[in-house]
Amino acid sequence: MDLIQTVFTSFVSLIPVTLAQSLILAFVVLGIMIPFRTLNFPDLTSEGAFPLGGCVCGVLLAAGASPLAAISVALIAGFLAGCCTAFIHLRFRIHTLLAGILMMTMLYSINLRIMGKSNLSVFGAPTVFDWAPFVQPGFPASKIIIAGLIGAVVFILLNMFFKTEKGTAIRAVGANPDMAEAQGINVWVATIGGVGLASAFSATSGALMVQSQGFADVNMGLGILINGLAALMIGEAIVGKQTVLRQLAAPFVGAVVYYQLVSFCLAAGMPPPDLKLATGLFVLAMLALPSLKRSRGPAQARETIRE
Amino acid sequence: MLEIRSARKVFYKGQADEKVALDGLSLKLATGEFGVVIGSNGAGKSSMLNAISGALVLDSGQIIINGDDVTDMPVHKRAVRLARVFQDPMKGTAASMTVAENMLLADLRSKKRTLRQGLNAARLATYKERLELLGLGLENRLDTRVELLSGGQRQSLSLIMAVGGSPDLLLLDEHTAALDPRTADIVMKATVRAVEALKLTTLMVTHNMQHAVDFGHSVIMLDAGKLRLEITGEEKAKVTVVDLIGHFSVKTDRMLLAS
Repeated sequence: MDLIQTVFTSFVSLIPVTLAQSLILAFVVLGIMIPFRTLNFPDLTSEGAFPLGGCVCGVLLAAGASPLAAISVALIAGFLAGCCTAFIHLRFRIHTLLAGILMMTMLYSINLRIMGKSNLSVFGAPTVFDWAPFVQPGFPASKIIIAGLIGAVVFILLNMFFKTEKGTAIRAVGANPDMAEAQGINVWVATIGGVGLASAFSATSGALMVQSQGFADVNMGLGILINGLAALMIGEAIVGKQTVLRQLAAPFVGAVVYYQLVSFCLAAGMPPPDLKLATGLFVLAMLALPSLKRSRGPAQARETIRE
Repeated sequence: MLEIRSARKVFYKGQADEKVALDGLSLKLATGEFGVVIGSNGAGKSSMLNAISGALVLDSGQIIINGDDVTDMPVHKRAVRLARVFQDPMKGTAASMTVAENMLLADLRSKKRTLRQGLNAARLATYKERLELLGLGLENRLDTRVELLSGGQRQSLSLIMAVGGSPDLLLLDEHTAALDPRTADIVMKATVRAVEALKLTTLMVTHNMQHAVDFGHSVIMLDAGKLRLEITGEEKAKVTVVDLIGHFSVKTDRMLLAS
């Protein structure tokens, strides 16, 4: 009884901190979802774009730039990184996953070059979280308010964008690239722009993270992709992915639930080193579930095509 | 108007399995003309259609649509002028998107895409009207995702999407071949209705000799990447299935059975 109570109290005391963290990391999950789901472009760039955003932001903050300017530059850097991945895939016909691995490997060196060392403290530098109304800066509440606000704005804008004429065209490229091209859509522009946008979100997340934790580290992206995937799958299991609205809500809901789950596991005494194994097994289980279901029942009927 | 000038395309050039797909093919289709393309497998029908749509880059030769040379234009730029219905119902539609969204994509084929809302009330009403013509009830399923439709419904939708913007050129690539006879008939009737009503310049590839006899103003027969035969006017009106099969260099039972 005592043990359960200890676990529960430590979990509850961590809820606000975890919530702040998950709202910041929701942007990476969004940056993973957009290529995977709307563009059908499995993309690993986020693993490099997240620390890229962090490093760029860290260096700029250390140089005395305003926190908003630091985030903006990080966002642009992330956008360019995503564009490169998409370009490598389209121009050289290299598989999307390999293009992403190439990009994140190269970004590691670039991130080190940008910072000049492997980590950089920006503790005490002004952050966007200082601008939260009604609360004292530095507390989780300010982070929850600011990250939540940015998240809400991004969510509303994206939901509107994907229903515009241009947004529908981008979704068509993911659904059926040949058909999209035959309908006059420039697949190159849509893919490069879409993956770029996604990486821009990952980089923004990295920049916010640096401002939140007060330091930048080249290794801060390690494992972010698999965490993001796990969060995305939880989100999709909860809100679904049938409509644009649900698909866009999934990253945010998933991030919040996933990081609370992680926090609970840690509070319950799971050794932190085992966390990646647990996450990996979870993602594997979620991916394997459809094929396990199928092997039990009869094979799905497929449309038969002549010859 | 469509004109193909001595188009040539060789696959696997210089290798043991070199294959001449198009061998100096020249062809003219007047504005408003409905041409039916026949030919055995490997005659170059699909290569020709791909060359016209831009999916295949020619080694030499020219493609001219309404007087403009489009030979060097990528697929998405040519789409402004031409529309295509594929043999495979999966190919012509975006499966994970709704009927209305697919209609929107086709509707904007020749227009500039803006940041305005895609599906508005006026557009939905127009799409409903266009789909009503099919008589398949698709007009009541605008919010259904296309993957939930049957092959015939999908292909009918592809057709309505293709003829929607009155394209300069309509390409039909064995578009009824994957359908059961009854659905094929519905789609074919809808095709003829649309082509006649809108006076579309149309090129239809088919393996169905009866369709070649029944529809179109001319029959174009390809063989080994070349134009082998063109039957037009009076002669086309009198041609029979047996006549057409007589022209095939390799006769197979499949053609007769398919008719």
